[in-house]
Amino acid sequence: MSKPSELVVEVKHVSKTYDSVPAVTDASFTIKRGECFGLLGPNGAGKSTLIRMMYGASSRTSGEMQVLGLDPQKNGRDLRRKIGIVTQEDALDEAMSVVENMQMFARFLGIPKDVAKSRIDELLAFMSLTHKSNTKIQELSGGMRRRLVFVRALLSDPELLILDEPTTGLDPAVRQLIWDKVEAFKRRGRTVLLTTHYMDEAEFLCDRLVIVDNGTIKLHGAPRALINEHCPGFVAIWSKSQIQAGDGDDVASAPNRRLERATLSELAEDLKREPTQPEIIRPTSLEDVFLKVTGRELGSNA
Amino acid sequence: MREHFILSWRVAMRHWSIFKKDFFANVLPTVVDPALFIVVFGVWLGSQMGDLGGRPYLQYMAPGIVSVTVLFTAYFESSYGFYVRLVYENIFKALMTTPIGPHEILTGEFIWVGLKGAIMALLVGIVLLLFGVAKPQYVWLMPIIGALLSIACGAMGLVSTGYVRNMNQFQTVYALLISPMFFVSGVFYPIEQMPKILQYLCYLSPLYHGVRLSQSALWAEGLLEAWLIHGAALLAITAVLVFWSWKKIYPKLYA
Repeated sequence: MSKPSELVVEVKHVSKTYDSVPAVTDASFTIKRGECFGLLGPNGAGKSTLIRMMYGASSRTSGEMQVLGLDPQKNGRDLRRKIGIVTQEDALDEAMSVVENMQMFARFLGIPKDVAKSRIDELLAFMSLTHKSNTKIQELSGGMRRRLVFVRALLSDPELLILDEPTTGLDPAVRQLIWDKVEAFKRRGRTVLLTTHYMDEAEFLCDRLVIVDNGTIKLHGAPRALINEHCPGFVAIWSKSQIQAGDGDDVASAPNRRLERATLSELAEDLKREPTQPEIIRPTSLEDVFLKVTGRELGSNA
Repeated sequence: MREHFILSWRVAMRHWSIFKKDFFANVLPTVVDPALFIVVFGVWLGSQMGDLGGRPYLQYMAPGIVSVTVLFTAYFESSYGFYVRLVYENIFKALMTTPIGPHEILTGEFIWVGLKGAIMALLVGIVLLLFGVAKPQYVWLMPIIGALLSIACGAMGLVSTGYVRNMNQFQTVYALLISPMFFVSGVFYPIEQMPKILQYLCYLSPLYHGVRLSQSALWAEGLLEAWLIHGAALLAITAVLVFWSWKKIYPKLYA
Protein backbone atom coordinates (compact mmCIF):
# COMPACT_ATOMS: atom_id res chain seq x y z
CA MET A 1 0.00 0.00 0.00
CA SER A 2 2.76 2.46 0.86
CA LYS A 3 6.43 2.82 1.58
CA PRO A 4 7.28 1.64 5.08
CA SER A 5 9.31 4.74 5.87
CA GLU A 6 6.57 7.13 4.80
CA LEU A 7 5.82 9.95 7.21
CA VAL A 8 2.21 10.11 8.31
CA VAL A 9 2.62 13.23 10.40
CA GLU A 10 5.07 16.09 9.99
CA VAL A 11 5.03 18.90 12.52
CA LYS A 12 7.52 21.69 11.84
CA HIS A 13 8.12 24.58 14.24
CA VAL A 14 4.48 24.80 15.21
CA SER A 15 3.46 27.45 17.74
CA LYS A 16 0.10 28.45 19.08
CA THR A 17 -0.97 31.32 21.30
CA TYR A 18 -4.38 32.00 22.82
CA ASP A 19 -4.83 35.76 23.25
CA SER A 20 -1.03 36.12 23.33
CA VAL A 21 -0.65 33.37 25.95
CA PRO A 22 1.59 30.68 24.47
CA ALA A 23 0.06 27.19 24.50
CA VAL A 24 2.56 25.44 22.22
CA THR A 25 5.99 26.79 21.36
CA ASP A 26 8.07 25.65 18.39
CA ALA A 27 7.05 22.00 18.36
CA SER A 28 8.62 19.72 15.75
CA PHE A 29 8.28 15.97 15.34
CA THR A 30 7.38 13.34 12.80
CA ILE A 31 5.36 10.14 13.00
CA LYS A 32 6.17 7.22 10.71
CA ARG A 33 3.65 4.88 9.19
CA GLY A 34 2.95 1.89 11.40
CA GLU A 35 4.34 3.24 14.63
CA CYS A 36 2.70 4.24 17.88
CA PHE A 37 3.84 7.69 18.84
CA GLY A 38 3.35 9.06 22.34
CA LEU A 39 2.66 12.64 23.33
CA LEU A 40 3.24 12.89 27.07
CA GLY A 41 3.20 15.80 29.47
CA PRO A 42 1.58 17.17 32.60
CA ASN A 43 -1.96 18.58 32.59
CA GLY A 44 -2.05 21.83 30.65
CA ALA A 45 1.24 21.15 28.86
CA GLY A 46 -0.29 21.75 25.44
CA LYS A 47 -0.93 18.15 24.34
CA SER A 48 -4.61 18.58 23.56
CA THR A 49 -3.96 21.83 21.74
CA LEU A 50 -1.37 20.08 19.57
CA ILE A 51 -3.76 17.23 18.88
CA ARG A 52 -6.62 19.55 17.99
CA MET A 53 -4.37 21.39 15.55
CA MET A 54 -3.47 18.04 13.99
CA TYR A 55 -7.03 17.30 12.92
CA GLY A 56 -8.07 20.84 12.12
CA ALA A 57 -10.20 21.53 15.19
CA SER A 58 -7.91 24.35 16.22
CA SER A 59 -5.81 26.86 14.28
CA ARG A 60 -2.08 27.31 14.61
CA THR A 61 -0.32 30.63 15.02
CA SER A 62 2.79 29.68 13.05
CA GLY A 63 4.70 26.72 11.66
CA GLU A 64 3.79 23.95 9.27
CA MET A 65 1.89 20.74 9.61
CA GLN A 66 1.11 17.82 7.32
CA VAL A 67 -1.06 14.89 8.31
CA LEU A 68 -1.47 12.14 5.70
CA GLY A 69 -0.18 14.66 3.20
CA LEU A 70 -2.83 17.25 4.03
CA ASP A 71 -2.61 20.54 5.89
CA PRO A 72 -5.16 20.13 8.71
CA GLN A 73 -5.91 23.84 8.78
CA LYS A 74 -6.78 23.97 5.07
CA ASN A 75 -8.12 20.47 4.44
CA GLY A 76 -9.49 19.51 7.83
CA ARG A 77 -12.72 18.19 6.39
CA ASP A 78 -11.02 15.77 3.97
CA LEU A 79 -8.45 14.82 6.57
CA ARG A 80 -11.08 13.88 9.14
CA ARG A 81 -12.58 11.39 6.69
CA LYS A 82 -9.30 9.45 6.82
CA ILE A 83 -8.41 9.54 10.50
CA GLY A 84 -10.08 8.38 13.69
CA ILE A 85 -10.10 10.35 16.91
CA VAL A 86 -10.81 9.08 20.40
CA THR A 87 -11.63 12.29 22.23
CA GLN A 88 -10.98 12.81 25.92
CA GLU A 89 -14.71 13.12 26.53
CA ASP A 90 -17.00 10.28 25.46
CA ALA A 91 -19.67 12.71 24.17
CA LEU A 92 -22.08 9.96 23.16
CA ASP A 93 -25.79 10.69 22.79
CA GLU A 94 -27.32 9.35 26.00
CA ALA A 95 -30.84 8.92 24.70
CA MET A 96 -29.81 6.86 21.69
CA SER A 97 -28.81 3.23 21.50
CA VAL A 98 -25.31 2.00 20.75
CA VAL A 99 -26.13 1.24 17.13
CA GLU A 100 -28.06 4.49 16.61
CA ASN A 101 -25.08 6.48 17.85
CA MET A 102 -22.77 4.72 15.43
CA GLN A 103 -25.19 5.03 12.50
CA MET A 104 -25.38 8.74 13.08
CA PHE A 105 -21.60 9.11 12.97
CA ALA A 106 -21.43 6.92 9.87
CA ARG A 107 -23.79 9.43 8.23
CA PHE A 108 -21.55 12.33 9.26
CA LEU A 109 -18.66 10.50 7.64
CA GLY A 110 -20.71 9.91 4.49
CA ILE A 111 -20.42 6.11 4.70
CA PRO A 112 -23.14 4.41 2.63
CA LYS A 113 -25.82 2.70 4.73
CA ASP A 114 -25.04 -0.93 3.85
CA VAL A 115 -21.29 -0.47 4.27
CA ALA A 116 -21.93 1.27 7.59
CA LYS A 117 -24.11 -1.57 8.82
CA SER A 118 -21.54 -4.29 8.27
CA ARG A 119 -18.71 -2.11 9.55
CA ILE A 120 -20.58 -1.25 12.74
CA ASP A 121 -21.32 -4.95 13.38
CA GLU A 122 -17.71 -5.84 12.75
CA LEU A 123 -16.34 -3.10 15.01
CA LEU A 124 -18.80 -3.81 17.83
CA ALA A 125 -17.58 -7.40 17.73
CA PHE A 126 -13.95 -6.21 17.65
CA MET A 127 -14.53 -4.14 20.83
CA SER A 128 -16.64 -6.93 22.44
CA LEU A 129 -19.81 -4.85 22.45
CA THR A 130 -22.08 -6.87 20.17
CA HIS A 131 -24.33 -7.89 23.06
CA LYS A 132 -24.97 -4.20 23.82
CA SER A 133 -25.98 -3.17 20.28
CA ASN A 134 -29.47 -2.05 21.23
CA THR A 135 -28.72 -0.77 24.70
CA LYS A 136 -29.14 2.93 25.45
CA ILE A 137 -25.91 4.77 26.24
CA GLN A 138 -27.19 5.81 29.66
CA GLU A 139 -27.22 2.13 30.65
CA LEU A 140 -23.58 1.50 29.68
CA SER A 141 -20.68 1.38 32.13
CA GLY A 142 -17.74 3.75 31.77
CA GLY A 143 -15.60 1.03 30.22
CA MET A 144 -18.25 0.17 27.64
CA ARG A 145 -18.68 3.82 26.71
CA ARG A 146 -14.95 4.11 26.16
CA ARG A 147 -14.93 1.02 23.95
CA LEU A 148 -17.80 2.50 21.98
CA VAL A 149 -15.83 5.70 21.44
CA PHE A 150 -13.16 3.45 19.90
CA VAL A 151 -15.78 1.97 17.59
CA ARG A 152 -16.78 5.50 16.63
CA ALA A 153 -13.18 6.45 15.91
CA LEU A 154 -12.64 3.35 13.78
CA LEU A 155 -15.79 3.82 11.63
CA SER A 156 -13.85 5.63 8.93
CA ASP A 157 -11.38 2.71 8.67
CA PRO A 158 -8.69 5.25 9.52
CA GLU A 159 -5.05 5.32 8.44
CA LEU A 160 -4.21 7.20 11.62
CA LEU A 161 -5.82 6.81 15.02
CA ILE A 162 -5.48 9.67 17.49
CA LEU A 163 -6.04 8.69 21.12
CA ASP A 164 -6.46 11.54 23.59
CA GLU A 165 -6.17 9.95 27.06
CA PRO A 166 -8.04 6.83 25.97
CA THR A 167 -7.86 4.89 29.25
CA THR A 168 -8.24 7.59 31.91
CA GLY A 169 -10.51 6.36 34.68
CA LEU A 170 -10.81 2.78 33.42
CA ASP A 171 -10.30 -0.41 35.37
CA PRO A 172 -7.22 -2.57 34.62
CA ALA A 173 -9.18 -5.16 32.66
CA VAL A 174 -10.64 -2.61 30.25
CA ARG A 175 -7.26 -0.91 29.90
CA GLN A 176 -5.72 -4.25 28.98
CA LEU A 177 -8.45 -4.86 26.41
CA ILE A 178 -7.90 -1.44 24.89
CA TRP A 179 -4.15 -1.99 24.72
CA ASP A 180 -4.73 -5.27 22.89
CA LYS A 181 -6.97 -3.52 20.37
CA VAL A 182 -4.46 -0.73 19.78
CA GLU A 183 -1.76 -3.35 19.17
CA ALA A 184 -4.06 -5.21 16.78
CA PHE A 185 -4.73 -1.97 14.91
CA LYS A 186 -0.99 -1.35 14.65
CA ARG A 187 -0.32 -4.84 13.34
CA ARG A 188 -2.42 -3.92 10.30
CA GLY A 189 0.24 -1.35 9.45
CA ARG A 190 -1.78 1.59 10.77
CA THR A 191 -0.42 4.51 12.77
CA VAL A 192 -1.32 5.60 16.30
CA LEU A 193 -0.83 8.87 18.15
CA LEU A 194 -1.35 8.47 21.89
CA THR A 195 -1.53 10.90 24.79
CA THR A 196 -1.75 9.45 28.24
CA HIS A 197 -0.91 10.15 31.86
CA TYR A 198 -0.09 6.49 32.46
CA MET A 199 3.60 5.96 31.95
CA ASP A 200 3.24 2.17 31.94
CA GLU A 201 0.78 2.56 29.07
CA ALA A 202 3.20 4.76 27.11
CA GLU A 203 6.09 2.40 27.83
CA PHE A 204 4.05 -0.59 26.67
CA LEU A 205 2.43 0.89 23.54
CA CYS A 206 4.76 3.57 22.19
CA ASP A 207 7.61 3.01 19.77
CA ARG A 208 8.71 6.60 20.17
CA LEU A 209 7.46 9.50 22.22
CA VAL A 210 7.95 13.13 23.13
CA ILE A 211 7.52 14.70 26.55
CA VAL A 212 5.95 18.15 26.42
CA ASP A 213 6.03 20.67 29.26
CA ASN A 214 4.84 24.28 29.22
CA GLY A 215 4.13 24.00 25.51
CA THR A 216 7.68 22.94 24.63
CA ILE A 217 8.99 19.51 23.62
CA LYS A 218 11.57 18.54 26.24
CA LEU A 219 12.51 15.03 25.20
CA HIS A 220 12.21 12.84 22.15
CA GLY A 221 13.02 9.16 21.74
CA ALA A 222 12.12 5.51 22.30
CA PRO A 223 10.90 4.75 25.85
CA ARG A 224 13.73 2.32 26.68
CA ALA A 225 16.38 4.63 25.24
CA LEU A 226 15.03 7.57 27.23
CA ILE A 227 15.15 5.57 30.47
CA ASN A 228 18.71 4.43 29.76
CA GLU A 229 19.80 7.92 28.90
CA HIS A 230 18.15 9.95 31.66
CA CYS A 231 17.80 7.73 34.70
CA PRO A 232 19.25 4.28 34.17
CA GLY A 233 19.34 1.81 37.02
CA PHE A 234 17.34 1.52 40.20
CA VAL A 235 15.42 3.72 42.57
CA ALA A 236 14.74 3.37 46.29
CA ILE A 237 11.64 5.06 47.68
CA TRP A 238 10.80 5.90 51.28
CA SER A 239 7.17 6.59 52.04
CA LYS A 240 6.22 9.71 53.97
CA SER A 241 5.25 7.78 57.10
CA GLN A 242 8.68 6.18 57.18
CA ILE A 243 10.44 9.53 56.97
CA GLN A 244 8.33 10.96 59.75
CA ALA A 245 9.00 7.96 61.93
CA GLY A 246 12.72 8.10 61.20
CA ASP A 247 13.61 11.80 61.41
CA GLY A 248 10.74 13.53 63.07
CA ASP A 249 11.68 17.04 61.91
CA ASP A 250 10.16 19.23 59.17
CA VAL A 251 9.00 16.46 56.89
CA ALA A 252 5.28 16.97 57.26
CA SER A 253 5.04 18.63 53.86
CA ALA A 254 7.72 16.54 52.17
CA PRO A 255 6.70 13.92 49.63
CA ASN A 256 8.21 10.47 49.31
CA ARG A 257 11.97 10.43 49.41
CA ARG A 258 13.81 8.84 46.51
CA LEU A 259 17.34 7.67 45.85
CA GLU A 260 18.46 6.77 42.34
CA ARG A 261 21.62 4.88 41.40
CA ALA A 262 22.86 3.44 38.11
CA THR A 263 23.42 -0.08 39.44
CA LEU A 264 21.92 -2.22 42.14
CA SER A 265 25.28 -2.66 43.92
CA GLU A 266 25.86 1.11 44.06
CA LEU A 267 22.40 1.54 45.54
CA ALA A 268 23.00 -1.22 48.09
CA GLU A 269 26.27 0.44 49.11
CA ASP A 270 24.57 3.78 49.77
CA LEU A 271 21.64 2.17 51.57
CA LYS A 272 24.01 0.83 54.17
CA ARG A 273 24.44 4.38 55.45
CA GLU A 274 20.68 4.98 55.76
CA PRO A 275 19.03 4.87 59.19
CA THR A 276 15.79 3.43 57.75
CA GLN A 277 15.51 1.09 54.82
CA PRO A 278 13.27 2.15 51.89
CA GLU A 279 9.82 0.73 51.36
CA ILE A 280 10.38 -0.04 47.68
CA ILE A 281 13.37 -0.72 45.46
CA ARG A 282 12.60 -1.04 41.75
CA PRO A 283 14.16 -0.55 38.32
CA THR A 284 13.69 2.97 36.99
CA SER A 285 10.87 3.49 34.52
CA LEU A 286 9.46 6.06 32.16
CA GLU A 287 7.73 7.58 35.16
CA ASP A 288 11.12 8.57 36.61
CA VAL A 289 12.14 10.14 33.30
CA PHE A 290 8.86 12.04 33.18
CA LEU A 291 9.24 13.37 36.72
CA LYS A 292 12.82 14.40 36.12
CA VAL A 293 12.15 16.14 32.81
CA THR A 294 9.02 17.98 33.85
CA GLY A 295 10.62 19.12 37.11
CA ARG A 296 7.91 17.43 39.13
CA GLU A 297 10.50 15.20 40.73
CA LEU A 298 9.59 16.29 44.22
CA GLY A 299 11.94 15.65 47.11
CA SER A 300 14.48 13.77 45.06
CA ASN A 301 17.89 13.43 46.51
CA ALA A 302 19.57 11.41 43.79
CA MET B 1 -20.99 25.01 -0.52
CA ARG B 2 -23.11 21.99 -1.39
CA GLU B 3 -21.09 19.90 1.05
CA HIS B 4 -21.51 22.58 3.71
CA PHE B 5 -25.28 22.33 3.48
CA ILE B 6 -25.36 18.53 3.38
CA LEU B 7 -23.24 18.34 6.52
CA SER B 8 -25.19 21.14 8.23
CA TRP B 9 -28.42 19.32 7.43
CA ARG B 10 -27.00 16.19 9.09
CA VAL B 11 -26.21 18.22 12.20
CA ALA B 12 -29.81 19.49 12.24
CA MET B 13 -31.08 15.93 11.79
CA ARG B 14 -28.99 14.86 14.77
CA HIS B 15 -30.84 17.42 16.90
CA TRP B 16 -34.15 16.33 15.39
CA SER B 17 -33.55 12.66 16.18
CA ILE B 18 -32.82 13.54 19.82
CA PHE B 19 -35.96 15.70 19.96
CA LYS B 20 -38.05 12.99 18.33
CA LYS B 21 -36.99 10.47 21.00
CA ASP B 22 -39.09 12.35 23.51
CA PHE B 23 -41.53 13.93 21.09
CA PHE B 24 -44.57 13.91 23.35
CA ALA B 25 -42.79 15.46 26.33
CA ASN B 26 -41.13 18.01 24.06
CA VAL B 27 -44.28 19.09 22.28
CA LEU B 28 -46.81 18.96 25.09
CA PRO B 29 -46.00 22.38 26.67
CA THR B 30 -46.13 23.95 23.23
CA VAL B 31 -49.70 22.86 22.80
CA VAL B 32 -50.92 23.09 26.38
CA ASP B 33 -49.53 26.55 27.21
CA PRO B 34 -51.27 28.28 24.29
CA ALA B 35 -54.50 26.42 25.06
CA LEU B 36 -54.33 27.72 28.65
CA PHE B 37 -53.61 31.22 27.41
CA ILE B 38 -56.63 31.08 25.15
CA VAL B 39 -58.95 29.83 27.88
CA VAL B 40 -57.70 32.03 30.74
CA PHE B 41 -56.95 35.29 29.01
CA GLY B 42 -59.03 34.98 25.90
CA VAL B 43 -62.20 33.26 27.05
CA TRP B 44 -62.51 34.12 30.75
CA LEU B 45 -60.80 37.49 30.89
CA GLY B 46 -61.77 38.39 27.34
CA SER B 47 -65.49 37.95 28.11
CA GLN B 48 -65.18 40.87 30.56
CA MET B 49 -63.66 43.10 27.91
CA GLY B 50 -64.98 44.88 24.88
CA ASP B 51 -63.63 44.53 21.37
CA LEU B 52 -60.05 45.44 20.64
CA GLY B 53 -59.03 46.74 17.23
CA GLY B 54 -62.52 45.95 15.96
CA ARG B 55 -62.53 42.28 16.95
CA PRO B 56 -63.32 40.24 20.07
CA TYR B 57 -60.37 40.17 22.48
CA LEU B 58 -59.90 36.42 22.06
CA GLN B 59 -59.37 36.83 18.35
CA TYR B 60 -57.16 39.82 18.91
CA MET B 61 -54.64 38.02 21.08
CA ALA B 62 -54.75 34.55 19.50
CA PRO B 63 -52.13 35.12 16.71
CA GLY B 64 -49.64 36.59 19.17
CA ILE B 65 -49.67 33.32 21.10
CA VAL B 66 -48.06 31.58 18.12
CA SER B 67 -45.19 34.06 18.10
CA VAL B 68 -44.73 33.88 21.86
CA THR B 69 -44.45 30.10 21.68
CA VAL B 70 -41.81 30.43 19.00
CA LEU B 71 -39.89 33.01 21.04
CA PHE B 72 -39.67 30.80 24.11
CA THR B 73 -38.98 27.58 22.21
CA ALA B 74 -36.20 29.11 20.14
CA TYR B 75 -34.62 31.11 22.94
CA PHE B 76 -34.44 28.15 25.32
CA GLU B 77 -33.17 25.81 22.60
CA SER B 78 -30.31 28.12 21.69
CA SER B 79 -29.42 29.33 25.16
CA TYR B 80 -29.73 26.51 27.70
CA GLY B 81 -29.94 23.82 25.02
CA PHE B 82 -26.92 24.97 23.06
CA TYR B 83 -24.93 25.66 26.22
CA VAL B 84 -25.52 22.12 27.49
CA ARG B 85 -24.47 20.66 24.13
CA LEU B 86 -21.38 22.87 24.10
CA VAL B 87 -20.18 22.66 27.70
CA TYR B 88 -21.69 19.61 29.37
CA GLU B 89 -22.36 17.08 26.64
CA ASN B 90 -19.31 18.00 24.51
CA ILE B 91 -21.37 17.08 21.47
CA PHE B 92 -19.56 19.52 19.22
CA LYS B 93 -16.15 18.14 20.13
CA ALA B 94 -17.36 14.74 18.99
CA LEU B 95 -18.93 16.17 15.80
CA MET B 96 -15.67 17.92 14.97
CA THR B 97 -13.86 14.59 14.74
CA THR B 98 -15.90 14.01 11.57
CA PRO B 99 -15.95 16.14 8.39
CA ILE B 100 -18.25 18.52 10.26
CA GLY B 101 -16.61 21.82 11.18
CA PRO B 102 -17.65 24.90 13.17
CA HIS B 103 -19.53 26.47 10.24
CA GLU B 104 -21.61 23.34 9.79
CA ILE B 105 -22.37 23.23 13.51
CA LEU B 106 -23.68 26.80 13.39
CA THR B 107 -25.63 26.42 10.15
CA GLY B 108 -27.02 23.14 11.50
CA GLU B 109 -28.10 24.90 14.66
CA PHE B 110 -30.01 27.51 12.66
CA ILE B 111 -31.61 24.93 10.38
CA TRP B 112 -32.74 23.03 13.46
CA VAL B 113 -34.08 26.04 15.35
CA GLY B 114 -35.87 27.17 12.18
CA LEU B 115 -37.45 23.74 11.73
CA LYS B 116 -38.45 23.57 15.36
CA GLY B 117 -40.04 27.03 15.12
CA ALA B 118 -41.92 25.96 11.99
CA ILE B 119 -43.28 22.84 13.70
CA MET B 120 -44.30 24.77 16.82
CA ALA B 121 -45.98 27.56 14.84
CA LEU B 122 -47.93 25.04 12.81
CA LEU B 123 -49.04 23.11 15.90
CA VAL B 124 -50.17 26.23 17.74
CA GLY B 125 -51.86 27.47 14.57
CA ILE B 126 -53.82 24.22 14.51
CA VAL B 127 -54.76 24.61 18.19
CA LEU B 128 -56.09 28.08 17.40
CA LEU B 129 -58.11 26.70 14.50
CA LEU B 130 -59.60 24.07 16.78
CA PHE B 131 -60.65 26.81 19.18
CA GLY B 132 -62.18 28.62 16.22
CA VAL B 133 -60.22 31.79 16.92
CA ALA B 134 -58.24 31.95 13.68
CA LYS B 135 -59.11 31.98 10.00
CA PRO B 136 -57.87 28.88 8.18
CA GLN B 137 -56.96 30.17 4.70
CA TYR B 138 -53.45 31.40 5.56
CA VAL B 139 -52.51 28.93 8.28
CA TRP B 140 -50.00 27.49 5.83
CA LEU B 141 -47.99 30.69 6.31
CA MET B 142 -47.45 29.91 9.99
CA PRO B 143 -44.49 27.52 9.52
CA ILE B 144 -42.75 30.16 7.39
CA ILE B 145 -43.33 32.91 9.96
CA GLY B 146 -42.40 30.47 12.71
CA ALA B 147 -39.12 29.48 11.05
CA LEU B 148 -38.07 33.07 10.41
CA LEU B 149 -38.96 34.29 13.90
CA SER B 150 -37.37 31.20 15.41
CA ILE B 151 -34.07 31.85 13.65
CA ALA B 152 -34.07 35.43 14.99
CA CYS B 153 -34.91 34.33 18.54
CA GLY B 154 -32.47 31.42 18.31
CA ALA B 155 -29.77 33.89 17.33
CA MET B 156 -30.63 35.90 20.46
CA GLY B 157 -30.12 32.70 22.46
CA LEU B 158 -26.76 32.09 20.80
CA VAL B 159 -25.64 35.68 21.33
CA SER B 160 -26.43 35.34 25.03
CA THR B 161 -24.57 32.01 25.08
CA GLY B 162 -21.64 33.97 23.70
CA TYR B 163 -21.68 36.35 26.66
CA VAL B 164 -22.69 34.31 29.72
CA ARG B 165 -20.00 32.95 32.01
CA ASN B 166 -22.21 30.21 33.42
CA MET B 167 -25.66 28.82 32.87
CA ASN B 168 -27.26 30.86 35.68
CA GLN B 169 -26.63 34.08 33.81
CA PHE B 170 -29.21 33.14 31.20
CA GLN B 171 -31.72 34.17 33.86
CA THR B 172 -30.37 37.72 33.67
CA VAL B 173 -30.91 37.77 29.93
CA TYR B 174 -34.36 36.32 30.44
CA ALA B 175 -35.34 38.91 33.04
CA LEU B 176 -33.94 41.92 31.20
CA LEU B 177 -34.65 41.02 27.60
CA ILE B 178 -36.90 38.07 26.89
CA SER B 179 -39.53 38.70 29.52
CA PRO B 180 -39.96 42.43 28.73
CA MET B 181 -40.09 41.57 25.05
CA PHE B 182 -42.91 39.14 25.77
CA PHE B 183 -44.98 41.84 27.51
CA VAL B 184 -44.43 44.80 25.19
CA SER B 185 -44.42 43.29 21.70
CA GLY B 186 -48.07 43.82 20.96
CA VAL B 187 -49.30 40.34 21.83
CA PHE B 188 -51.93 41.41 24.38
CA TYR B 189 -52.70 44.95 23.24
CA PRO B 190 -51.73 47.23 20.33
CA ILE B 191 -48.35 48.86 20.93
CA GLU B 192 -49.93 52.24 20.16
CA GLN B 193 -51.15 52.10 23.79
CA MET B 194 -47.59 52.46 25.01
CA PRO B 195 -45.35 55.55 25.30
CA LYS B 196 -43.67 56.51 22.03
CA ILE B 197 -40.20 55.56 23.22
CA LEU B 198 -41.32 52.00 23.94
CA GLN B 199 -42.99 51.85 20.56
CA TYR B 200 -39.69 52.69 18.87
CA LEU B 201 -37.95 50.02 20.93
CA CYS B 202 -40.61 47.60 19.79
CA TYR B 203 -39.59 48.09 16.18
CA LEU B 204 -36.28 46.45 17.13
CA SER B 205 -38.01 43.45 18.66
CA PRO B 206 -38.20 40.44 16.35
CA LEU B 207 -41.20 39.28 18.36
CA TYR B 208 -43.19 42.42 17.48
CA HIS B 209 -42.73 41.84 13.75
CA GLY B 210 -43.49 38.15 14.19
CA VAL B 211 -46.72 39.06 15.99
CA ARG B 212 -47.77 41.41 13.21
CA LEU B 213 -47.06 38.75 10.57
CA SER B 214 -49.02 36.13 12.53
CA GLN B 215 -51.92 38.55 12.95
CA SER B 216 -52.09 39.27 9.25
CA ALA B 217 -52.07 35.55 8.46
CA LEU B 218 -54.57 34.40 11.09
CA TRP B 219 -56.91 37.38 10.69
CA ALA B 220 -56.50 36.93 6.93
CA GLU B 221 -56.09 40.63 6.26
CA GLY B 222 -53.39 43.10 5.22
CA LEU B 223 -50.95 40.38 4.23
CA LEU B 224 -49.09 42.32 1.57
CA GLU B 225 -48.54 45.32 3.81
CA ALA B 226 -47.49 43.12 6.74
CA TRP B 227 -44.91 41.28 4.69
CA LEU B 228 -43.56 44.44 3.06
CA ILE B 229 -43.06 46.16 6.41
CA HIS B 230 -42.78 43.53 9.12
CA GLY B 231 -41.49 40.72 6.93
CA ALA B 232 -38.69 42.96 5.69
CA ALA B 233 -37.96 44.26 9.19
CA LEU B 234 -37.85 40.75 10.64
CA LEU B 235 -35.50 39.62 7.87
CA ALA B 236 -33.17 42.53 8.55
CA ILE B 237 -33.19 41.96 12.32
CA THR B 238 -32.59 38.25 11.77
CA ALA B 239 -29.63 38.94 9.52
CA VAL B 240 -28.01 41.20 12.12
CA LEU B 241 -28.62 38.75 14.96
CA VAL B 242 -27.33 35.77 12.99
CA PHE B 243 -24.17 37.67 12.07
CA TRP B 244 -23.65 38.72 15.69
CA SER B 245 -24.19 35.21 17.05
CA TRP B 246 -21.74 33.81 14.48
CA LYS B 247 -19.09 36.27 15.67
CA LYS B 248 -19.67 35.24 19.28
CA ILE B 249 -20.01 31.46 18.95
CA TYR B 250 -17.47 30.62 16.25
CA PRO B 251 -14.46 31.26 18.54
CA LYS B 252 -16.02 28.96 21.12
CA LEU B 253 -16.06 26.11 18.62
CA TYR B 254 -12.78 26.78 16.85
CA ALA B 255 -9.85 28.70 18.31
